[in-house]
Amino acid sequence: MSRRYDQSTTTFSPEGRLHQVEYAIEAINNAGTCIGLQSSNGIVLAAEKRVISKLLAPSKTSEKTYTIDDHAVTLVAGLTADANILIQKAQLNSLRYYHDYQTPMPIEQIVKSVCNYKQSYTQFGGLRPFGVAFLFAGYDELLGFQLYQSDPSGNYSGWKATVIGQNNQAGKSILKTDFKIDNTLSNNLQLAVKILLKTMDSTTPTPDRIEISSLTKDEDGNIVHRFITDDEVAKLIQQIQSEVEAEEKKSEAVTGDI
Amino acid sequence: MSILQYNGGAVIAMKGLNCVGICSDLRLGLQQQTVAMNFKKVFQITDKLYVGLTGLATDVLSLEHLLNFRCKLYKLKENREISPKAFGAMLSSLLYEKRFGPWFSEPVVCGLDANNNAFLSGMDLIGAPVFSDDFTVAGTCTQNLHGMCEALYRPNMDPEELFEVLSQCLLSAVDRDALSGWGAVVHIITPEGTITRTLKCRQD
Repeated sequence: MSRRYDQSTTTFSPEGRLHQVEYAIEAINNAGTCIGLQSSNGIVLAAEKRVISKLLAPSKTSEKTYTIDDHAVTLVAGLTADANILIQKAQLNSLRYYHDYQTPMPIEQIVKSVCNYKQSYTQFGGLRPFGVAFLFAGYDELLGFQLYQSDPSGNYSGWKATVIGQNNQAGKSILKTDFKIDNTLSNNLQLAVKILLKTMDSTTPTPDRIEISSLTKDEDGNIVHRFITDDEVAKLIQQIQSEVEAEEKKSEAVTGDI
Repeated sequence: MSILQYNGGAVIAMKGLNCVGICSDLRLGLQQQTVAMNFKKVFQITDKLYVGLTGLATDVLSLEHLLNFRCKLYKLKENREISPKAFGAMLSSLLYEKRFGPWFSEPVVCGLDANNNAFLSGMDLIGAPVFSDDFTVAGTCTQNLHGMCEALYRPNMDPEELFEVLSQCLLSAVDRDALSGWGAVVHIITPEGTITRTLKCRQD
């Protein structure tokens, strides 16, 4: 039935749905997991990288984490080529705003400008929507550190902690139990690794498939975006794995044979 | 009177041994009336690249905003800082874009490239560049500046000597120009970093 109403992006179905937009959102669920966790002194962004082949040349730029401006970064889930277009737009908008007002573009306005552009592909033009979801993280003087999620429909929402991409339901359920609003940055780094270990589909997670970065403010008031080094990631993985083993041993001791 | 002399100002850039220096006066005037003594005309683009902009003050500021915009975008796209040579070419292009309604500003580009080789370039208001091995001057007292630099400049000066020579050239030149002076700032750029000093000078 929906077949008749899903060929054009800009036509509603009889149930009032835009099928092309929904299919685009489905594409995100196959993408590498992206996690964003906010604390009072910064934001942790973590993603699973898709390593297709060892023959791939090492890239200087990431396929998951992109800089929009000094005070804003983003994680990408979905079609990387589509993401590149939107990120270029966001970068231009942010720099143009700074040129006009000599003040950094507020994060929500950056997000809105990208989302309004995405929405226009769901209403006119006859072109397919962008198959990308973003996690925007940034700092502005107005609202401090903020985390936003956006999807192909052009909808966006602000989050304290969220997961998108593959196995995001598993990630979200861990957040419900383990995320505390007063977590520090280091708590969140550990939580991010813990979630990635659950959502990644490999039994032996390695640092080269994980990309974690933090957005913080230094003593001079500058926003710093730092990638966690492979050694630190390896340490975190070990820490989480031993914690998980200890918990399993405890629950084994409690159950035991009947 | 020329539009390039409305606000006044002077900039010198000079090359030393493994270092470059650039300095400007601090006066902002409305023809004869001095309005400010803290109007800097030299701006930092990257750690090792500075640009000095003389001429109409509103265009000095507008060009500074434009250049920062373009260099930030360059860094986002190319994942590296812009080189002095590329920056000079971009600035030249920006100015020529307005060939028939120009920016009333004559810039001086000064920096060290990735191999710490010095780069010095001056331009007219429509972007014609001149690349120097020794010094470049711009502003309302270029004749004075040229004379002082020719007299005091010698090649391969170390950062301390360069600072002395640059400062003396600028100070002496602006003392004979009613539209420049009222303070000066000097930046000496070396591979280890940049030292910025403010000069005490005649406040007239």
